[in-house]
Amino acid sequence: MYVFNLDKLSGQQSMLIFHLLARMGVEALVLVSPKIPLASIGYFQNAEEEMDLRFCKKTNIPVMRREVGGGATYLDENQIFHQVIIKRDNPIFSRNISENYERFSLPVIETYREFGIETGFHPVNDILTKEGRKIDGEGSGDIGDCFVWVGGILLDFDYQVMSRVLKVPEEKFRDKIYKSMKENLTTMKKELGEIPSREEIKSVLIEKFEKIFGKLEPANLTSTMIRGMEKLEKEFTSPAFLLKKTPRISKGVKIREGVEVIYGIHKAKGGLIRAAQEVEKEIINEISLSGDFTFYPKDYLEGLEGKLKGNVREKSLLNSKIEEFYDKEKVQSPGVESEDFLKAMKVEE
Amino acid sequence: MAKVEEYDMPDELYYHKEFMWVRVEGEEAVVGLNDFSQKLAGEISYIEMPEEGDEVKQDEAIGSYETGKWLGKLYAPVSGEVTAMNEEVEDEPTLVNKDPYGEGWLFKIKMGDPAQLDNLMKGEEAIEWLRGEIAKHAKEKK
Repeated sequence: MYVFNLDKLSGQQSMLIFHLLARMGVEALVLVSPKIPLASIGYFQNAEEEMDLRFCKKTNIPVMRREVGGGATYLDENQIFHQVIIKRDNPIFSRNISENYERFSLPVIETYREFGIETGFHPVNDILTKEGRKIDGEGSGDIGDCFVWVGGILLDFDYQVMSRVLKVPEEKFRDKIYKSMKENLTTMKKELGEIPSREEIKSVLIEKFEKIFGKLEPANLTSTMIRGMEKLEKEFTSPAFLLKKTPRISKGVKIREGVEVIYGIHKAKGGLIRAAQEVEKEIINEISLSGDFTFYPKDYLEGLEGKLKGNVREKSLLNSKIEEFYDKEKVQSPGVESEDFLKAMKVEE
Repeated sequence: MAKVEEYDMPDELYYHKEFMWVRVEGEEAVVGLNDFSQKLAGEISYIEMPEEGDEVKQDEAIGSYETGKWLGKLYAPVSGEVTAMNEEVEDEPTLVNKDPYGEGWLFKIKMGDPAQLDNLMKGEEAIEWLRGEIAKHAKEKK
């Protein structure tokens, strides 16, 4: 098995490399960073629904669909991607997918530990610090005859740009995403106060992965591989592939395993209702309600938010909380029923 | 129905090495994902299947599905023309987890060459193959 200890690759090559090696059937560990920022969406995401493509175009951030699951990510040189490509007939591979995640996360956890950051694997696919902040997110997929498992060491992270590349129904929702990410996502710089040497991190990663794969043989990109990536880039950036419609419906942004920001807009008879929530394990941590509907007294809307906070997103429970609030506070909102708030909050049966 | 450890394996079906099953109905092959695969992969969130009218080749990857951020592939167990796909599964992919051999069927292929069924496994051969896969994948690896 090879190790491609690469520096920064241009364009989308830092992501295309694992797609190419898998298609070629080359088993390898790839360590690489992108030279320029780019955004990547999961295979089943709709680019036009999830990404602010106009902003990405204006700021020269290419967007690519990857052949791996998960959600939208913003990638830049402050991440070291660790990509494992193994054949599915390799005894190390398990069709018990969660087992692969756990096993391949171990070298990454040990690497963080070597630099003084205690982390642990958190199913399905996150590495979290002791404080529960995500520091490495992973994804995987079958490509050709291979299984690929990919993730990235976060040296530093641009929360602002990440919240900017996403498409949101209302600009004010970006702030919610930004704050939730700041709270739930950490980096080596945040944890240590500085970024350790990139080469040192990569060298520790290789040493730790060798405990699983045995001695890895250093390899470099060949001209055939570079041509292969150029060819793949055409396929991956074609509108037919990038903009294809998929069955996945966006309802928000997953920040880390168990934490998501859900936003929704609902047109009630009495006006438009906007709802943005930070939800942790189905419990509403934060919620903000706004819109152009009449709610009297107006400042009581905060009281309704308070009534909903801390509750499980369960329809009958939230419905009774809203009804209780209306009864107690004698609030009036013509043309807006409790059902309308639940629709804006995307609370299903 | 045969059961290999905790995995269902209906006797009358043909099995493809990429974990697809086939039920022959006249000229058509009804295709799905086997119980072993769906159990190990976990809950399916999204699925993309071939469209009606698509010509597919045996062993070719013709669709995808996602579980827990893993993107798996669906394969054509036989060559032919796709004549139907299960729209209910497209709307509710967990039907594959709930009932892989029934409501969770995926698509139908009008077989171009029914002799290709000989390339698939059935009966004891399929059970032996699954036992091997269980040993390889379903036991914890150190």
